[in-house]
Amino acid sequence: MRRVALRGLLARKTRLALTALAVALGVTLISGTYVFTDTIDASFDRIFSAAYKGADVVITPNDDVALSESSDDLPPIEGAVLDRIERIEGVENVEGSIFDQGGTFLTKKGEPFAAQGPKFVASAFDDERFGGFSYAEGRRPRTPDEVAIDKATARREGFSVGDSFEIQAEAPKQAYTISGLTQVAGVDSYGGAAVAQLTLPEAQRVTGKQGKYDEIDLAVAKGQDADAVSAAIRAALPKNVDVRTGAAEAADRTGEISDDLGFLQTGLLAFAGVSLFVGAFIIFNTFSITVAQRAREFALLRTLGASRPQVLRAVLGEGVVLGVLGSVVGLGLGILVASGLRALFKAFGFELPSTGTVLEPRTVYVSLGVGVVVTLAACLTPALRATRVPPVAALREGVALPASRSSRLAFPLALVLTGLGVAAMSVGLFAGLEESPALLLVGLGAGATFLGVALLSPRLVGPIASVIGRPIEALFGVTGRLARENTVRQPGRTAVTAAALMIGVALVTFATIFAAGGKSTIDAAIDAGLRGQAVLQNQDGFSPFAAGATRRVAELDGVERVAAVRFVQARVEGEGLAVSGVDTEAFPALYRTALPPLGDDSVAVSEDYAEQQGIRVGDTVALTTATAKRLELRVAGIVEDKGRLLDELTVSNDVVARDFGQRKDSLVIVGYSPGKATKAAIDNAIKADFPQVEALTAEEFKDDAAGQVDQLLVLVYALLTLTVIVAMFGIVNTLVLSVTERTRELGMLRAIGTSRRQIRRVIRYEAVITAQIGGVLGILLGLLLALLVTRTIDDFSLAIPYGLLLGLFLAAGAAGILAAVLPARRASRLNVLEALAYE
Amino acid sequence: MIVTATGLTRSYGTGEATVRALAGVDVEFPAGAFTAIMGPSGSGKSTLMHLLAGLDRPTSGSVVLAGTELADLGDKELTTLRRDKVGFIFQSFNLLPVLSAEENILLPLSIAGREADQPWVDRLIDAIGLRDRLGHRPAELSGGQQQRVAVARALASRPAVVFADEPTGNLDSKTSTEVMELLRRCVDEFGQTIVMVTHDPRAAAYADRLVQLEDGRIVRDGAPGAAAGTSRSDAVTHGV
Repeated sequence: MRRVALRGLLARKTRLALTALAVALGVTLISGTYVFTDTIDASFDRIFSAAYKGADVVITPNDDVALSESSDDLPPIEGAVLDRIERIEGVENVEGSIFDQGGTFLTKKGEPFAAQGPKFVASAFDDERFGGFSYAEGRRPRTPDEVAIDKATARREGFSVGDSFEIQAEAPKQAYTISGLTQVAGVDSYGGAAVAQLTLPEAQRVTGKQGKYDEIDLAVAKGQDADAVSAAIRAALPKNVDVRTGAAEAADRTGEISDDLGFLQTGLLAFAGVSLFVGAFIIFNTFSITVAQRAREFALLRTLGASRPQVLRAVLGEGVVLGVLGSVVGLGLGILVASGLRALFKAFGFELPSTGTVLEPRTVYVSLGVGVVVTLAACLTPALRATRVPPVAALREGVALPASRSSRLAFPLALVLTGLGVAAMSVGLFAGLEESPALLLVGLGAGATFLGVALLSPRLVGPIASVIGRPIEALFGVTGRLARENTVRQPGRTAVTAAALMIGVALVTFATIFAAGGKSTIDAAIDAGLRGQAVLQNQDGFSPFAAGATRRVAELDGVERVAAVRFVQARVEGEGLAVSGVDTEAFPALYRTALPPLGDDSVAVSEDYAEQQGIRVGDTVALTTATAKRLELRVAGIVEDKGRLLDELTVSNDVVARDFGQRKDSLVIVGYSPGKATKAAIDNAIKADFPQVEALTAEEFKDDAAGQVDQLLVLVYALLTLTVIVAMFGIVNTLVLSVTERTRELGMLRAIGTSRRQIRRVIRYEAVITAQIGGVLGILLGLLLALLVTRTIDDFSLAIPYGLLLGLFLAAGAAGILAAVLPARRASRLNVLEALAYE
Repeated sequence: MIVTATGLTRSYGTGEATVRALAGVDVEFPAGAFTAIMGPSGSGKSTLMHLLAGLDRPTSGSVVLAGTELADLGDKELTTLRRDKVGFIFQSFNLLPVLSAEENILLPLSIAGREADQPWVDRLIDAIGLRDRLGHRPAELSGGQQQRVAVARALASRPAVVFADEPTGNLDSKTSTEVMELLRRCVDEFGQTIVMVTHDPRAAAYADRLVQLEDGRIVRDGAPGAAAGTSRSDAVTHGV
């Protein structure tokens, strides 16, 4: 029987290849995701291990309060801490350093770097054991006008030793001479970030951290126990610093990156899951069709004495072979896709490090396991149907498989599944659960809904096909008519094929509507809140920037007032919370909101947070800031913010500067009389010294936000492409099988004078109609998803992009045309005589 | 002459494995005649019909159909010629299951993008006697009814010649008779030229002329009555 299974596979190589490819593409993104993230992980591990190899003990600012996992924008360590460490016994050498994120580097043309990766202004260590940097070319910076940059950045931006390099951070823009190019652990790039090393005093000055450090590294004297020295240091230092051994610090840093990557990994795996889910549809469909086509073969086996379990094993055996084959190919493709993902992220400005591809055993197990299990699950129902072929069918021609119990139950099951799916999504969205169970429920609910609609769709295929097919039939006559009739011939088959595409289309629709709604919501919020004539922001769109730029603009003739907004973080009852700082005088004049007067010990609470926590005016909110200060603030008012600018808590900028250690501005609203000042004047005032900062009018600000949303949308599209490709393979597969099944019909059509072109048209229009059924169902489901999800977002202004959705519908048709190329060619090239004799 | 074949040979395979299906056939089919081609399995009768109908190309020799030398035609022109000048009736009916009986009848015209000649189509429908079943799909028709629809389809575009390949092969004797009577009427009433390949001597008896093939050559050509029972092949046919 094993031989029968293998023969069955080998006899139909095209189908085998296409189905295996469906499995493979699903597995590809799984293995690609693992390889991609493992590779990044390993690269950072290597970088951090090298960076902390020579440091026995590392002192960093305490990052307990930081909301983001990254510890890069923490307030620095006071210089006095270093003095105290020097006095501790057993310390051989100690050195403070700067490693500050938030500067801006300029290209040779004087523009800020286009790459989105982080930029660090760092100090060069005197002690070569610390920092892990080596100089591939030139030497370390020795004078305040020298800089060493990482070799990868130098290569990308075309800098070499001796060139001028401009940096702007807290201090205005300044030019340095490149003295050397750095490497870390033999790698040109510091994990995709750009690093510019200055001398320590210059780095402190540029970053506004005079006399302070971001990190202190030390080596213990020979014969001393690092742990004991570390403990002594811990005891001598204040609570707002962390003391770790070098190895622990490296592990901590790698762990932070892994956590960040874990998020990325989950996201990518979700997309992989969708592809595999779609792949399962195709496997199911292929097996269903071939089992039906081979009914006589199975009946013959039964007549010859094969038992039902043997038939079941034969079909499942095919499934295993297919699953393994597809998974292995997918695993291999995944390694290629990992580089593709890296290129994709790079194209969006996020350069991620890669030092050699990492293939963990886990990647192999998971890829193969998931691929085989999904394949088997998908071919189980068809395999069971194969066992139900009665032996007598071998003697009859054109046997139809007996209708199974499951097919009679399909309709009620489909309704129940769809209902449960929508219910699960609703519970996930509206029941106010914790984030991860809620997300899980929404995901499972969406999956169940897709499955339910897929099961329902055999009943929908006829009506939809007749609507979509009408214009095709009217335009193209008999070929269109045949195409339409062929799609409804086996509604179940068409339905599953279309459903595979439906999933991709639904998610694209959802993302499109969500993004369009997001943009109009942002527009509405800006209109509702902004009263100033312009805003200042970091040219990267989100990072805080030097307050010097704000002061420069404030001093400009004709500018009436500027309101700086600063975004910081705090910890309230153990939970991280976002806090906004505002300029109490200027802000109310430049932003529409009823903000209460805020003093040194008062706070305003957002309406939502107040409601959620039951906070009332006059209550006290206790919080811990990033500088480990405990504050007790009186609630001065509850704020309704239509502009969605302010966080849960709002305090004055004086409090932010005093207690949070944040002196950078995140967003500045500028008010001026249009007659007296212009945006061009503002641009001029900041361009020379603060290229990091850009001024935008309200309209430009909206466009900028829309651009960021669009960029994200394109990334999502790119990741969904794989799902759509899998679905297209499904169309190819179904059509190839249908063409085989209809060989004699096609032969007759050719015999009575149908041209090859007409045959191709019949197949092509069938593909178009099938794809567009998927398109229609997908767009409707996507709409439903978007309506549900956006209901949970307050004041979300839903803007349905009808034009884009129409485009999507047409694009589905185009995908059909593309998928039809191979089957149409096969059908048109059939030898007429052989086709007529085909059984 | 509607169809003229001269020096027709057809070989399959190469070298030692070469099989000569037709070993030099000269035959003519005049307008308005009903010819039956008989012969045992492997005698080359199907090959001959395929070559005459432009479904296959001869190894040597020539076929002229309605004044056109088929050897000069490419695939596109052959397709057009089959569409406009030739009608086909198959053993297994080969109706499209997704189309109604009427749509099947009109299919050759739809493919050609031509308007149906309605009075002609009406005459055909009356001739096959299925006016009340026109809206039905093939699956809802009996085998005999399906073959009658196929006959109407073959004649719908008023072809120069209709080729019928074992038209009664899948039918019982009663429905076979119906179909053969219908074919006879088509010749008598409409002047249709028909060339029919068959195993069935009873079917052949409806023809005006019987061409008998053996080993790729014509061994007899004459009136059907005279041939019956005299040929070696006939015994084989009866034996089946």
